[in-house]
Amino acid sequence: MKIMKKILACLTLMLGIVLPAAAGDSPVDLVRDTSRQVLDTLKQDNGKNTGKIRDQVEALVVPKFDFKRMTALALGKNWRVASPEQQNDLAVQFQTLLVRTYSSTMTRFKTAQVDVKPSANFSANGQEASVHSDITLPNSNDKKTVSVDYILYKTSQGWRVYNINVEGASLVTVYRNQFDADIRASGIDGLIKSLKDKNSGKGA
Amino acid sequence: MTLRPLILAGLMAATLAGCATQPSNPRDPLEPMNRAVYRFNDAADRAVAKPVAKAYHSVTPLPVRIAVNNFFDNLRDVYSAVSNTLRADPERALNDTMRVAMNSTFGLFGLIDIATPAGLKDNKNTLGDTFASWGWKQSNYLVLPLMGPSTVRDGTGFGIVAAMTPERNLYHSPAAANVATGLNLVSKREQLLGLEEVLDNAALDPYAYTRDAYLQVRDKSLGIAPPKNEDDDLSIDAIMGTTPPEPGKADASAPRAKAALPDASAAK
Repeated sequence: MKIMKKILACLTLMLGIVLPAAAGDSPVDLVRDTSRQVLDTLKQDNGKNTGKIRDQVEALVVPKFDFKRMTALALGKNWRVASPEQQNDLAVQFQTLLVRTYSSTMTRFKTAQVDVKPSANFSANGQEASVHSDITLPNSNDKKTVSVDYILYKTSQGWRVYNINVEGASLVTVYRNQFDADIRASGIDGLIKSLKDKNSGKGA
Repeated sequence: MTLRPLILAGLMAATLAGCATQPSNPRDPLEPMNRAVYRFNDAADRAVAKPVAKAYHSVTPLPVRIAVNNFFDNLRDVYSAVSNTLRADPERALNDTMRVAMNSTFGLFGLIDIATPAGLKDNKNTLGDTFASWGWKQSNYLVLPLMGPSTVRDGTGFGIVAAMTPERNLYHSPAAANVATGLNLVSKREQLLGLEEVLDNAALDPYAYTRDAYLQVRDKSLGIAPPKNEDDDLSIDAIMGTTPPEPGKADASAPRAKAALPDASAAK
């Protein structure tokens, strides 16, 4: 139960507290700057303007992600059998799913404290980086910190996030078995349809 | 303890259950049974636990809820001290013992957690952790009635502790002990309020989502690498490397292709 709480608590942080503006070149700066901007924006929430705040945070956060790469990671080997059109559809639907999920709960994190560790771990000849942060929620009766790792890669536009690990659980690969089950049952198009149904509120 | 028969029944079923047909996760051979228990838990949660937790949240102020959580947390430190002793980790066992000593006295029977700010780290271990340190690393997924996600290993540890119910000596009557057990569950559930909607929103299959996230976190907390299947070995570049170039997606495709080449060769 405790572990699930951690996962879920931080799932919701995924869109809440993230990444880089075109600011510095360092992935750490970008994570830290965006976290700060997001928290500042969330603090303006007064219960009446929640919709507007959500839009602002989404505008801040969404460009920092590469949803296509995320979707590929979520699908694993199945990504390679999808046609380019299917890949586009999947990425669009997966993005909608994630944004919808996390934006609906982001305001509960307005008092969160985010501690971004100053050094990133680089890999793949400096093309990939992992940035560690610890997140604390002061207004909760369980005051443990939750560790969140952002996995980024370098693009010509700067660093982009394509994976987030919360306490060791990837918010992206956690979908792999679910996607695989759908694909085995009804193919790539079946998965696209499930995602569409889910996103339009018809359930999976 | 009313939980005991349920748990024992669950464990027995776990050992007796045969092979499932094509599990969606290789570590979930008990999927049909787990799904049934999951459905039961889900129904019980919606009907009882969630409304009760909501009521608890609305009638008790935050300081009280913190105190309640601290009280049960202090009891868990006792178990943790025992578990750490069993796994021959004297440093942590001493740490846990000191936590209990401080919180039970200066912390008013555990209502206040003064050990954490005093620098005694909260690194709780369970009997499941002990089993893992004894070599039982990989364990299949198991959903416990009322308690939720677990593994066969951790569920066994939990079942043993539940069957012995050592903390019942604390309470004067069985009724008081049952109230305490219930309060502990409500307190835990209260912390999860609002998050079940996230799960509902996020998951195509909430059962599989819970399972896969739980197993990843549990493996990580034990410091063991998840079992490899061919899919996990694929790096992101291997997955995307064979992707036909994408027209119109200027931002990502160019650098990705560049990044893919050195990495794919380096990763293997």
